[in-house]
Amino acid sequence: MAARAQIGVAVMQHGKYRFIVGFLAVPLGLYALFVVWPFVQSIYYSFTDWTGLSPDFEMVGFANYARMLDDDIFWKSLQHSLLFALLVPVVTIGLALFLSFMINVGGRRRRGGPVISGVRGSAFYKIVYFFPQVLSIAIIALLFAFAYNPDSGAINSFLRAVGLDGIQPLWLGDPDLALWAVMAVIVWSTVGFFVVLFSAGMASIPLDLYEAALLDGANRITTFFRITLPLLWDTVQSGWVYMGILALGAESFAVVHIMTTGPGGPDYSTTVMVLYVYQKAFRDGQAAYATTIGVALLLVTLAFAAAVMKLGRRERLEY
Amino acid sequence: MKTTEPPAPVPAESGITVTKADVPAGAPPEEKKAGGVLNVFSHGILVIWAIMVALPLLWAVMTSFKDDASIFGSPWSLPDTLHFENWARAWTQAHMGDYFLNTVLVVGGSLIGTLVLGSMAAYVLARFEFPGNRFIYYLFIGGMSFPIMLALVPLFYVVNNMGLLNTIHGLILVYIAYSLPFTVFFLTAFFRTLPSSVAEAAFVDGASHSRTFFQIMLPMAKPGLVSVGIFNFLGQWNQYMLPTVLNTDEDKHVLTQGLVQLAVSQGYKGDWSGLFAGLVMAMLPVLAAYIVFQRQVVQGLTAGALK
Amino acid sequence: MGSNSAEYDGTREHGTRGRTGHGTTGVGRRDLIKRSAALGLISVPTMSFLSACASGGGDDQEKAETGKKTAKNPLGVNDTAQMEFVLFDGGFGKEYAEDAVKVYEKAFPGAKVKFSATQKIQSTLQPRFNQGTPPDLIDNSGAEQMDMGTLVGKKQLADLTPLLDAPSYDDPGTKVRDTLRPGIVEMGQFDGEQVWILYYAYTVYGVWYSQKALDSLDEQYPETWDQMLAVCAKAKKKGMAGWTYAGKYPYYLPFSLYPMIGKVGGREVLDAIDNLEPNAWKHPAVKACFEAYYELQQKGYVLKGTPGLDHIQSQTAWAKGDALFIPNGSWVENESANVMPDDFDLAVSAPTGLDSSDKLPFGTIWASGGEPFVVPAKAANAPGGMEQLRIMLSEASSKNFTGKVKSLTAYNGGTDGIELTPGLKSGVAALDVAGENVVNPRLQDWYVQLQKEKIGVSGIGEMMAGRATPAETIKKIQAFADETAKDSSVKHYKHQ
Repeated sequence: MAARAQIGVAVMQHGKYRFIVGFLAVPLGLYALFVVWPFVQSIYYSFTDWTGLSPDFEMVGFANYARMLDDDIFWKSLQHSLLFALLVPVVTIGLALFLSFMINVGGRRRRGGPVISGVRGSAFYKIVYFFPQVLSIAIIALLFAFAYNPDSGAINSFLRAVGLDGIQPLWLGDPDLALWAVMAVIVWSTVGFFVVLFSAGMASIPLDLYEAALLDGANRITTFFRITLPLLWDTVQSGWVYMGILALGAESFAVVHIMTTGPGGPDYSTTVMVLYVYQKAFRDGQAAYATTIGVALLLVTLAFAAAVMKLGRRERLEY
Repeated sequence: MKTTEPPAPVPAESGITVTKADVPAGAPPEEKKAGGVLNVFSHGILVIWAIMVALPLLWAVMTSFKDDASIFGSPWSLPDTLHFENWARAWTQAHMGDYFLNTVLVVGGSLIGTLVLGSMAAYVLARFEFPGNRFIYYLFIGGMSFPIMLALVPLFYVVNNMGLLNTIHGLILVYIAYSLPFTVFFLTAFFRTLPSSVAEAAFVDGASHSRTFFQIMLPMAKPGLVSVGIFNFLGQWNQYMLPTVLNTDEDKHVLTQGLVQLAVSQGYKGDWSGLFAGLVMAMLPVLAAYIVFQRQVVQGLTAGALK
Repeated sequence: MGSNSAEYDGTREHGTRGRTGHGTTGVGRRDLIKRSAALGLISVPTMSFLSACASGGGDDQEKAETGKKTAKNPLGVNDTAQMEFVLFDGGFGKEYAEDAVKVYEKAFPGAKVKFSATQKIQSTLQPRFNQGTPPDLIDNSGAEQMDMGTLVGKKQLADLTPLLDAPSYDDPGTKVRDTLRPGIVEMGQFDGEQVWILYYAYTVYGVWYSQKALDSLDEQYPETWDQMLAVCAKAKKKGMAGWTYAGKYPYYLPFSLYPMIGKVGGREVLDAIDNLEPNAWKHPAVKACFEAYYELQQKGYVLKGTPGLDHIQSQTAWAKGDALFIPNGSWVENESANVMPDDFDLAVSAPTGLDSSDKLPFGTIWASGGEPFVVPAKAANAPGGMEQLRIMLSEASSKNFTGKVKSLTAYNGGTDGIELTPGLKSGVAALDVAGENVVNPRLQDWYVQLQKEKIGVSGIGEMMAGRATPAETIKKIQAFADETAKDSSVKHYKHQ
C-alpha cells in the first residue's frame, strides 16, 4: 500500500486540493454544525451549574468532575457499562460467527457437490434470524419485559411446563440475574444481523482454501479458525466496534430504561452510564452534571474503540 | 467464485442422517465423522435459535388479536375471537399510515444523503494525503462515541436557529450528520482496500478526480455501500431520540414516535392489545421488505467477490 | 461482506493487501486520547463566545398585552392573544382538557388555542424553557416531569396567587382558593407565600382490594396488624396471596406504608422524614412498620414473583384474584379497568395500623394532589393560562373530569349528581372516615431520586424481596437521607 499510495499521490496531484475541499466541505460542514458543535457546547456545560431548565448558569470549574469521582452510583454505572461493552459484543459476535459457520459450512457434503456447503434451509435461517432486527429495540424490550414476568411470563411458564416448578427465578427482580437478563435481550436482538453479515463474508471466501486445508487433514472445526475467522477479521472488527458502541449507548439505554426495576435496579444492579445521564438530565434537573457523566461515557467509548482497533491489528493474519 | 449461494435443498436427502455413500472416497476419514456430527449438531443448534427468535414475534402477532384480560390471564392460549378492533385502534392512535409515509421520506432521504456524502468524505480521507487528513478522520470516527443524548439540547438550538425545526428536510440533515461517523469509518476502510491502479489509469486517461470517483470508484465500492447502507437504514429506521426533540409537530412524526407514544401510554392506560397490534403493524412492512429483497441484500454483500 | 471481500479478488494474487502499510485503521489508543484532549482544548478559547449563544437565553418572547379586567374576565385575559397549553398525556387521557379548552375558546372566540398532549414533557419543553419561549399552561407530570424545585429555584414559574384570589368560575362571591380541597394550596407552595403549582387531580392512596374477595373470606378489612396477618393466613389457605405490589417500582409501597408510619408514630415522624432530619428513620414507629411489612414477606403472604412484576403486571395479578391487597393510588381503577372483572367491587381502605396504642386513629390516610399544572413565568400569555385553569376548576369541568377518568379533582365537591364508580365511591368514603387525619408525605415531590431510586428501589424494594432485614434497610435509608441532606446540588425544603 505504501509504495502504491506514493505512485498514486504522484500521479494524481493535479487539482487535488480543489477536489479535496470540494468533496469534504459539505459532509464536514454538516457534521461540524449538527454534531461537533452541540457536543462542544455540552462539554462546556459540564463546567457549569446549568440545570437544563433555565438559561442562567455559572461556571463552577471542575466541581462536577470532583462530584462524579465521589459518586457511588456513577462508579456502579461505569462498571456495568464496561461489562456491556466487553461482554455483549463478544457473546453476540461469537454466537453469530458460530451460527453463520453452521449455516454456511455445517452442511453435509453431497456427491459431486462442493467440498464445503451450507446446511439445508440456510436461506430460511438467514431470514428468520434477521427478524428481531426489524423491530425497534424499545419494542423488543417491552416484549421481553413480558417474557421475564416471573408470574405469568413465557420463561417461567416454560420452566413450569417442563416440570421445573422449583426453578422460578425473579429474573429482572433479582439483582444477581437482572443484568444478565438485560444483556441477553441485546444479544438476542442483534445476533441475526451479524449472522447475515458474516454469512455474506463467508460466502465470498474461495472454496479452494477450504479444499486445501481439508486435504492437509484439517477438520471443519479447525478450518474455522485457520481460514474463516482470519479472513473475516475485518468484518468482525468493524462489527465489534459498532456493537460495543451500541451496547454503551442507545441499545443499553432502551433495554435498561424500559425493562429494569426502578429503572436501574434492583439496588443499582443494572444502572448504566447512559441511563444515569438521562436521569440526571431529564429527571433531576441537573443537566450540567449529566453532561459531565456524558463526557466520561465519551472517554470510555473512545477507549473501547481504540482498544478493539489495537487488538484487531495485532491479531490480523496474513495469508 | 460463484458457488457461494446456499445450495438448493435436495428433497431426496434427509438433512440429518449420514450414509457412507454421501462421503466422497477421497475425503480423509476424520472428516467423514466430523462432518456428520457437525451436521446433526449444527442443525440442532440452528433450529433452537430459530425457535428462540421466531417464537416471541409469533407470540406478539397472536397477542395482537387478544383482549387485555386474556393477554395476562392466559398468555399462551390462542385468541378466543380475533379482536380486529385492536388493529383499528392502533392504526388511528398511532397514525400508522401517515407516520409510515413520514418515516419513508425521512429515512429514504437521509439514507441517500448519508451514502453520497459519506462516501465522498471517506474517499478523500482514504486516498489522498493532505495536512489535516488524520485530524478530520479522527474527528469523524470520534463521533461514533458521542452519546446523542448529551447533545440534544444544544442541537435543538442549532436546528431551531436555522429554521429547520419540525421540518422533514431538517430531520434528514440531522440524520445524515449523525450517520456520518460510522459511514466514514466503514467506507474509509473500504476504499483503502480497492485497487488504486484502476483509478490511476482513469486519471492518466484524463478523467477528473470527481469523474474518477463517481464513474469508477463508486461502482467498485458498491458492496461497501450496500453494507453500510443496511447498517444506516436500521439505525435511522429505529432512531427515536432525535425526532423526539427535533420533530414535535404531530403531523410530521415518524413511526418510532407513534409506537413509543403507544407504548408509553400502555403504562397509563393498560391498552396492551392495542400496543401489540401497533408493533406488529410496524414490523410487517420491514419484514416483508427484507424477505422480498433478502436475495439482493445478500448478493450485495457478497458482490465484492463476484465482480 | 464488503470490506474484506474485495481483498479476495484479483488483487490478492499480487500480494498487495489493502492496508498493511500505514496501519491507519488501527487507531492507537494514545492517538485517540491525544486527539480528544485536543478537542477539549478547542472548547476553551471559544467559551466566551459560547456562553453568549449557548443556551439561547435573553431572547424571551414578547408578552401579550393584558386585556381589560371585568367581572367576566377577572384575570384580564387578552381576548385575541394565542394561548398555548401542553398537557401530559397519561392515565387521565386528554379528553378532559380538550373539553376545557372548548370552554375557553367559547369564552374568547377571538383567541387561538394551541393545545398539544405529550408523554415527553421534559424533552419537548426543556429547550423552550431555555429559550424563554415556554407555553402558557403545562401539566408537568409523568416520568419526564421537569423538576419542580429547579423550576421554582430558577424563577421559571409564575405565582398563581392572582388565580387563587380571583372569583371562582361558578360563584363570583367565592374565591378560587376557597373552592379547593384542603392541602391543595399548601402543596403548591415551596418556601413562602407564593403558590407555584396547582395540583388538579386529587389522589387517594391506600390499600386497594376487591370487596367481593374479602367477603368470600368472610372477613372485614383488618384494622390491626394481628388481624391483617390473620386475614392473610386465611387467604393463603384458599390459595390466594395476601399482598402484591409493583415489585419493579417498589416506591408504590409507601402509599400504604408512610400513612401507617404516620398513624403509628404521629404526623411529626413523617414531617421529620420529609425534612431530612438526622435519625428521622430511626424512630421506633418506622422500625415497627418496617418489621410488620417484612413479616408479610417472611410468612409468605406476598404473591410469589412479585419483585419481578411491574405496576401493570402486579395490578393484573391482583385483579385476577391472585392477591388480595395492593398498595396503590386512585388511578388504579382507570388503569386496571380492562382487566378487572365486572363484579370485582373495588374498594380502598386507609392502611392497617399496629394496634390500639397507635397515635392516630384507624382511617388515617394519604391523600394529595396529582397532575401538577404550572404557568411559566416567561409565558407570553400567563393570564390566559390561568384563566384556562380557572375554567378547569369550575364545577362543570371538575365533574366532567371525575366522570371521565374516575378521579376526584382539586375542586372540593363535584361529585353530586354523577354516578360514582365503586372505587371512587369508596375513596370518597375513606376521606370522610379520615376527616382531619389526612397525611401528605412530600418526599416524592421534593426529592424524587431519594424517594424512588434510593428509598423505594434500593431500600424498601430489597427488604420486601427478602434480601435485607428491616434493621439493615433502615440503616441504608437513613444513610441515603443524610446524603441527600448534605447534597448541595439538591434544593432542600422544610414543612412550614
